[in-house]
Amino acid sequence: MAEIEEWEWEIDPRYHWFKWELGAIPQYKDLLFRLVRRDLLANYQQTILGPFWILLQPVLTMLLYWVIFGTIVKVSTNGIPPLVFYLSGIICWNFFSDCLSGTMYTFIHNSAVFGKVWFPRLLVPLSVVLAQGVRMLVQLALFFLLYGIFYVRGDVPASGIGWLLLPVVVLWIGLFGLGVGLLLSVLTARYRDLDYSLQFILRLWMFASPVFYPAQLLSGKYGFFLWLNPMTPLIEAFRVFCFRREVDHVGYFWAAGGAVLVVLAMGIAFFKRHEVSVNDIV
Amino acid sequence: MSQLMIKVEGISKYYRLGTQGSGRLREDWSNWWKSVGRKSARADASSRGEAHIWALKDVSFEVGEGEVIGFIGKNGAGKSTLLKIISRITQPTQGRIRGRGRIASLLEVGTGFHQELTGRENIYLNGHMLGMTRREIDSQFDAIVDFSGVETFLDTPVKRYSSGMYVRLAFAVAAHLTPEILIVDEVLSVGDAEFQQKCLRKMKEVSGQEGRTVLFVSHNMQALRNLCHRAYILEHGVLVEGGPADRMIARYLRDSQVHFLRQFYPEPALAPGNDHIRIKRVELIPAYSGAEELIDIRTALQLELEFWYEPPGVSDLIVGIHLFALTGDCVFDVSSSRTTLDKGLVKCGCRIPANFLNDGSYYISIVFVSNTTHRLFYFESCLAFEVADYREHTSWYGKWIGYVRPDFKVTLEALNPDGYV
Repeated sequence: MAEIEEWEWEIDPRYHWFKWELGAIPQYKDLLFRLVRRDLLANYQQTILGPFWILLQPVLTMLLYWVIFGTIVKVSTNGIPPLVFYLSGIICWNFFSDCLSGTMYTFIHNSAVFGKVWFPRLLVPLSVVLAQGVRMLVQLALFFLLYGIFYVRGDVPASGIGWLLLPVVVLWIGLFGLGVGLLLSVLTARYRDLDYSLQFILRLWMFASPVFYPAQLLSGKYGFFLWLNPMTPLIEAFRVFCFRREVDHVGYFWAAGGAVLVVLAMGIAFFKRHEVSVNDIV
Repeated sequence: MSQLMIKVEGISKYYRLGTQGSGRLREDWSNWWKSVGRKSARADASSRGEAHIWALKDVSFEVGEGEVIGFIGKNGAGKSTLLKIISRITQPTQGRIRGRGRIASLLEVGTGFHQELTGRENIYLNGHMLGMTRREIDSQFDAIVDFSGVETFLDTPVKRYSSGMYVRLAFAVAAHLTPEILIVDEVLSVGDAEFQQKCLRKMKEVSGQEGRTVLFVSHNMQALRNLCHRAYILEHGVLVEGGPADRMIARYLRDSQVHFLRQFYPEPALAPGNDHIRIKRVELIPAYSGAEELIDIRTALQLELEFWYEPPGVSDLIVGIHLFALTGDCVFDVSSSRTTLDKGLVKCGCRIPANFLNDGSYYISIVFVSNTTHRLFYFESCLAFEVADYREHTSWYGKWIGYVRPDFKVTLEALNPDGYV
């Protein structure tokens, strides 16, 4: 038996913080797309309205906000027609929160598969974000339809060059949800109590983000504090580019953009560091 | 065996038992705190006397290209842990493994099957998870469907499948994998007997293909014997021996199968049985042929049985002797004639002649029946023994098949020395 020293892979007990193996993902693109497809196909099986829920859910929420915050409580929408204002907040927030809650239970929900077969574990959270991205695109189409109606009525300005930056904002929101979800996925596997508290924290987080109120309300002594929540500049950026608003607090936008990348890098490192060892626990 | 595919060096795996749940946060914190102080959590846990096991201890071996290797051992010996480490599902505590080539691990069939999706969707999903590319599945799709025999239900969600169909479809995908290294853990123990045979044939075909390396764990010794070139015996996480599969399997069976040739109970009260039958003595007396006390195919065996008998009313008695092979197949079922006996001690005897049983492991159960149909007592697996092989005047060393090897004459003679007419 000739001894050769050209090994293709190695398994050892060390932990690697920075061995991300992202290069392995393209080889598994077939599996990635299949997982996205599974997510989209399986979710609406045996429902009457099927994929229409993708549109129905934000529309119903939008109408609810319109009744509560538009007519009863009367929260300002900063001169933007309330319906498109709410819808923009809702689809941004939902995209983030669906990415987050879809990825933060990665290890718990996939323990049966992870215990039997190896493939890059990152594919699973990645597929969740991509499937949510598809839903987001459908919802964006609805949003622009509504926008068009208001434009014809002369209630909103014409689209500007800013629209070209919208995909970047959407991408950033998804990456942020992914990053936070990756960090949490390791923790939810180790500490089951997190299940309950996270639902609560996620709801609080929504109220702290400008979903049904304009970010300009976040001023005053502690306002800056809420601007540190990356979701505030991200949702605000969506509206700024969409409705051709003027930008103040430019610094916060750059900070949010950087924070997303840092959280994502931390999330990937933490996830990769624990992706195998967590399996012995779940 | 041209080049090395896998080199396993000093692999150990440590598991901590218990301590799941509430105290984890505090424990993690204190472990982390100690690890900052350069004291390993593991040393600490064992010094505190916490429950832990070494599932594997210092396991090393090498696998060459095209080899089919079997792993033998009792449950909990570490076979599955070893395969999981090589499949990258769990991490070793010590040691390292290096290798070449794409690995597909089949630790169960149907991994990742989604209940709501159709058979067609699941073939792709499962195939991709096992490492097949889209092109590979496309080209094998018809063969997979054909093998599974579920083509009429291909567009039905698999949750509507019977469990048999589900398993057949799942195995069909697995059987068409084409990696360089295939890792298989006990997947053949699913499905009905006919399908198992089909799987075994397919496994043999797959492992015989050019340069396919296979690591295989099974409790089916016949399957191991059929498929593997080499085998390793694992005991309590330690690799005790490795060598030709036949020899390793024989050794494992001998070690795990204690000869159990005699049971004796002087007191009826302590003896196995019931109101009607109490066993006093059951014994298998070999007529050893050589100086060695070894039961081989030339050894005749005398079965002797003594029992206390109390007939249930007016009845007769039949004593039947069932001889089973280790696989559970019954080799023979012989019984006494119907005999009416009074209460008291009864003796029963039976002779298994020499040159009758083939080599292998066997066990005996004894059944007591009254009035032809009413079972009084079944003394299950009361004796066990192993028959070793013995051959003279032959140059063939393969496994002699069959449970019996009777000394019948088979004749052969020339009828027409001049031609074929």
